[in-house]
Amino acid sequence: MNLMIKIAWRNIMRHRGKSLVIGVILFVGAFLMTIGNGVISGMDRGLQKNIVNSFTGDIVLVSEKQESDEVFIEMMGKTVEPINNFKQVDSLLKTVDDLQKWVPIGKNGALVLNEEGGAPGFTFLIGVDFERYQKVFPNTMKAVEGRLFNPGEHGVLVPTGARKQMFEVSNIWFIPEGCGVDTTSMFKEAKEMRSNLVSKQSIVFMGMGADNTSTDIRLGIKGIVRYNALNQIWGHFGIVDIESYRNCIGYIAAADKASLVLSDADKKLLGGEDTDLDNLFSVDGMITENVFAPPRSSTKTSTAPKAATGPSLADAIQTDLDDGTYNLVLVLLNDHSKLDEKVKAVNQRLKASGVGVRAVPWKKAIGAIGSMAVLIKSALFVFVMFLFFVAIIIIVNTLSMAALERTSEIGMMRAVGARKGFISTMFFGETAILSFFFGGLGIVTGYVTVRVLALCKFTSDNDMVQLLFGGDTFHPLLSGGDILLAVIQLTIVTLIAVIYPMQVARSITPLDAIARE
Amino acid sequence: MNIIEIRNLKKNYALGKTTVYALRGIDLAIEKGDLISIVGPSGSGKTTLLNVIGCIDNATEGSVKVSDREITKLNDRQITDMRLHHIGFIFQTFNLIPVLNALENVEFPLLLMKKQSKNEIRKRAEKLIDEVGLRDYLKHRPAELSGGQRQRVAIARALVTNPDIVLADEPTANLDSVTGEQILNLMKDMNRIEQTTFIFSTHDANVLKYANSVVKIRDGLIVKEA
Ligand SMILES: Nc1ncnc2c1ncn2[C@@H]1O[C@H](COP(=O)(O)OP(=O)(O)O)[C@@H](O)[C@H]1O
Ligand SMILES: [Mg+2]
Repeated sequence: MNLMIKIAWRNIMRHRGKSLVIGVILFVGAFLMTIGNGVISGMDRGLQKNIVNSFTGDIVLVSEKQESDEVFIEMMGKTVEPINNFKQVDSLLKTVDDLQKWVPIGKNGALVLNEEGGAPGFTFLIGVDFERYQKVFPNTMKAVEGRLFNPGEHGVLVPTGARKQMFEVSNIWFIPEGCGVDTTSMFKEAKEMRSNLVSKQSIVFMGMGADNTSTDIRLGIKGIVRYNALNQIWGHFGIVDIESYRNCIGYIAAADKASLVLSDADKKLLGGEDTDLDNLFSVDGMITENVFAPPRSSTKTSTAPKAATGPSLADAIQTDLDDGTYNLVLVLLNDHSKLDEKVKAVNQRLKASGVGVRAVPWKKAIGAIGSMAVLIKSALFVFVMFLFFVAIIIIVNTLSMAALERTSEIGMMRAVGARKGFISTMFFGETAILSFFFGGLGIVTGYVTVRVLALCKFTSDNDMVQLLFGGDTFHPLLSGGDILLAVIQLTIVTLIAVIYPMQVARSITPLDAIARE
Repeated sequence: MNIIEIRNLKKNYALGKTTVYALRGIDLAIEKGDLISIVGPSGSGKTTLLNVIGCIDNATEGSVKVSDREITKLNDRQITDMRLHHIGFIFQTFNLIPVLNALENVEFPLLLMKKQSKNEIRKRAEKLIDEVGLRDYLKHRPAELSGGQRQRVAIARALVTNPDIVLADEPTANLDSVTGEQILNLMKDMNRIEQTTFIFSTHDANVLKYANSVVKIRDGLIVKEA
């Protein structure tokens, strides 16, 4: 063994040029593989944190009637099927192990009516009991203007992205109730229009329910919010209290008593007949907690406007809310890695009980974004595999040539009595030493680079890049497992790359050496 | 006692569509401790014969016994061990491992055998190096030695395992005549000191005087034994 290492080491030094070529390949390969692992790992963690833990949960429960799994960002016009029996689902979920917490939400699209008479905008609405929602998804957003919901409050939280989008469509700049126009948060075009900017403190949504049961609903803007991560993507989702949501989409609300019929003047406004804004904002009653518009011509009786009757929804207790309609139940797991297993388990339970609900893993539910993330990750993986491949090809070539060049030496060793195994081991030893030093150096350098990259905190506003980052900030990450993975990858590359050249070296006979003389 | 017994040895090489009959029925017996020269013109089959005896080429037909072992029936592993334990080889060139110095080259077969301790191996190798007159060149690598010195190292290495036979295929072909003579003298001395059987081939009639007996070979057949 000693002898072998001695010979191997001295051969490396003797054929410095070749050793260096192989060494550099191993170094670069290990370096890039390590960084690739770090980016993939960071992306995984980022997606987990910024999508699963901030928005979708691990598992999304949808109605069995729901055809497409892509319930978050579906094609415009398609609606998400309702879940009317959340209470049943809730008690069922309690019987499944390892589910951490869950929250039911409403989720569908809504038109943003343009009170200035222009084309309507579009936004997704998420209807939630905000307190309960925040218990499952805490600290995912902050109000950049105004505030978040108070308990039981009606209204809407508009993400900065949605505000911008709505402005682009309607030229209306939305601001929270009781706030002035804050120019610091404005983007260029809005600023330029400042002198004759139309600003509004409430939005009239027209829900897009499955049937034609939607209702116009005016909601006061409580805050303009920014998601802590992936704000570009989540910016498409306005947050509405669940009862307003139900009214808007035309679902059965748990307590739809607090609605208020618009005055005639307001009806006119909605119809775009009255353009006197000063008049609109001077009417105190307009900017009240919650204003339900009358049904549009096509709406059915179930959501016909109710007379205002006393207490606000703040009094509606939890059980009341759960009697109403939701669209999705978002479930967080204790152990995220058990996703597939848990989806199966939950689905089994749901099916057996016939509640008419099924479970979808978050990647499917998030649709294009999830596929895109998988795609980016696969691309990275393919890139790493490609490196693998190229490294192996080059090393196999160089080593095979090296073996043949040393025919006389190897043949002579065999003539003196060295067995094939000795030759293999010697040959392997040389490659292993190179792999250990150069590959090891590559992994260490890769690790340091990943740490430095993470410290640089590169940020991006681009959706695609954000997916790659797994958030707004590039935060590649290497766990002990990732480093072990890099070591294993390096070992595999070395082993695969050395097999053929080793075979070449083994099969050299003393006669081959003599034939050379 | 015969250390080598060869009966009706034939060796053919397929060369394209034709067959080259390199050895065409050799019968030969060599006594232990002999110093034999195989002489013949170029292409007569000297190298082929030595290769078969030395277990680095296989016979087409016939029987070859080395140290009472029928080597034509051995597998690769056994053949390799045969080379290691019973045969010493001296080639024309490419004799030494470039990355090992003179002493390490001589130690090499002993390290492969794994029979002795490191100390014993070192002592034995140093003794042989001393006997071939390279005491001052222990630490020199092959590239730092002259052609004659390299052949000396090769002789020391061939002898270090106490083999039954040492085979040398035209060991002086690449040396100038003075150095060649020194090498042949050394082989003669070593044959006496270590009592090892030596077989060397040559096409040079001048070197015949170093041998105890001469085997003449021509066109793959032995002409006459003297
Ligand atoms: N590998 C081989 N393939 C084909 N013919 C060979 C081979 N080795 C030797 N020969 C032929 O066998 C004959 C004997 O060669 P060789 O033993 O090398 O002779 P010598 O060593 O006496 O010069 C020659 O005709 C040579 O051309
Ligand atoms: Mg020859």
